[in-house]
Amino acid sequence: MKRVLIAALLLVALLCVLPSPFGSGGAASAEDLVSGISQDTIQITSNYTGTDIVVFGAIERAQGTAGRGIVVVVRGPDEPMTVRRRDRVAGVWVNRDAARFEGLPAYYYLASTEPVARIAPAETLRRYGIGLQALTPSAVGSHHDPEPFRQAAIRYHQRSGLYAENPGSIDFLSETLFRARVPVPAGVTRGQYNVEVYLFRGGEVVSAQSTPLFVDATGLERRLFNMAHDAPFFYGLACVFMAMLLGWISSVLFRRPA
Amino acid sequence: MELYLPVAEMSVNWLLLIALGTGVGFLSGMFGVGGGFLMTPLLVFTGIPSTVAVATTLSHVTASSMSGALAQWRKRAIDFTMAGVMLGGGVVGTLFGVWLFALMRRQGQMDLIVALTYVIMLGSIGIIMLRESLATLKAYRSGVTVSRRLVNRGWIQALPFKMRFRQSRLYISVIPPIVIGFVVGALSAIMGIGGGFIIVPAMIYILRMPTNVVMGTSLVQIIAVTAITTVLQATSNYAVDIVLAFLLVSGGVVGAQLGVQAGAKLRGEQLRLLLACLVLAVGAGLFYQLVARPTDVYSLSEGVP
Repeated sequence: MKRVLIAALLLVALLCVLPSPFGSGGAASAEDLVSGISQDTIQITSNYTGTDIVVFGAIERAQGTAGRGIVVVVRGPDEPMTVRRRDRVAGVWVNRDAARFEGLPAYYYLASTEPVARIAPAETLRRYGIGLQALTPSAVGSHHDPEPFRQAAIRYHQRSGLYAENPGSIDFLSETLFRARVPVPAGVTRGQYNVEVYLFRGGEVVSAQSTPLFVDATGLERRLFNMAHDAPFFYGLACVFMAMLLGWISSVLFRRPA
Repeated sequence: MELYLPVAEMSVNWLLLIALGTGVGFLSGMFGVGGGFLMTPLLVFTGIPSTVAVATTLSHVTASSMSGALAQWRKRAIDFTMAGVMLGGGVVGTLFGVWLFALMRRQGQMDLIVALTYVIMLGSIGIIMLRESLATLKAYRSGVTVSRRLVNRGWIQALPFKMRFRQSRLYISVIPPIVIGFVVGALSAIMGIGGGFIIVPAMIYILRMPTNVVMGTSLVQIIAVTAITTVLQATSNYAVDIVLAFLLVSGGVVGAQLGVQAGAKLRGEQLRLLLACLVLAVGAGLFYQLVARPTDVYSLSEGVP
């Protein structure tokens, strides 16, 4: 893992030093970004307890660190969710109002050189979907002001480690070579994730790169999950059969000699 | 020590879950109950979604009832006719319960219904058991024997559709067993329990079945109801986690056998008193969760119901 990483970093460093075959004419003077990830798939196995991926990158034709901002965003697949608010009814806490959201990601992690509000104006951040406050659902089903419900959804995911914003967490190996460690906890959803790296200068995006990351279950976990959804009847029967078999075995094993 | 649960989609400490299965199995073996009423709340407490907890606990109950039923079967202490009649009501009750479960889940009131049903059931049964066992203990000390078999069967005898239950030495209407079966089937789907703590008193006090066949017959009924409910929960709610079920069951069957041996050393009244306290404690804990201010009044569920 570590060796792969070093090799990858060297490759990126090499790419920066070598003259780019595409770089010609006016574009040659512009700052550009090259990035990669330590692994392009995460396999959820039976002992999966979460893992870290490393996003690394290099800046070509760097123009100094002043006024420069780097943001790494890892965004999971969108997931419909329902947020409910409990109210006290006759002394008991009951779910009353609800809001349904579509277009909020199941996972969102942000690493940046400094708090994003200092890197770019709110309008720009919202346009690129950068930062937890810029997460806006595409569809809302609610009879009430959805804002407190949206805040609650963000809070909920932050508590379970699925949403995080981590300014100042980008390590610089040199002035132009950087990396960010992204934790992927155990509760992640399967699907396609996107790793986005943005280079800001003076509050504007100068260069950006997006790489897909796949999270999928493998082996037995995958087969069991598929079976539970594709053949639920036989899956249920298998559960019952297993329970009866184990019950029978135990009663034979513990049977007292008469 | 962490293991990924494919349906619950989360990692859990498998040692903890086997220990939980063993502990609940021990208590269920000792008290002669399925243990679902303890298992479901405890699973929810460890962070497993309540839909998965309710649906998966059923397998634990199937397994521990299976090993108990086999022991009773060897003693020929099962009234299969009675179990069959009760199951007739049980199947309909189960279908109704699973339908209600899905409806409540869509409405977002699942957790509330589960908790409320638990508080009401555990509270009332705990109080009845506590009073009864205290009275028996007191009577025991003062040397008076309390007659269990009261003769007054009144309204039960007046019902039509009578049928002979040879093993139970009864000639009664099929309506009460069918109604009891229905109620237990519905509760099984909503609460993830086998319903032993309802069936057993109902068989003794309402149907007046002889005590020696009550245990075996109720266990057969519980196996059938939990098996049907497991399949229904798997097909309609996709809420059964087979890995979680395996962990709970493997701990549970061992614990149940140890519990039976431990229970043989205690007197019946003492056991019932202990069980009553346990039932009341779980009920009180759930009641507190209903009325205490939650840490966050907002809650989130994935997917659009």
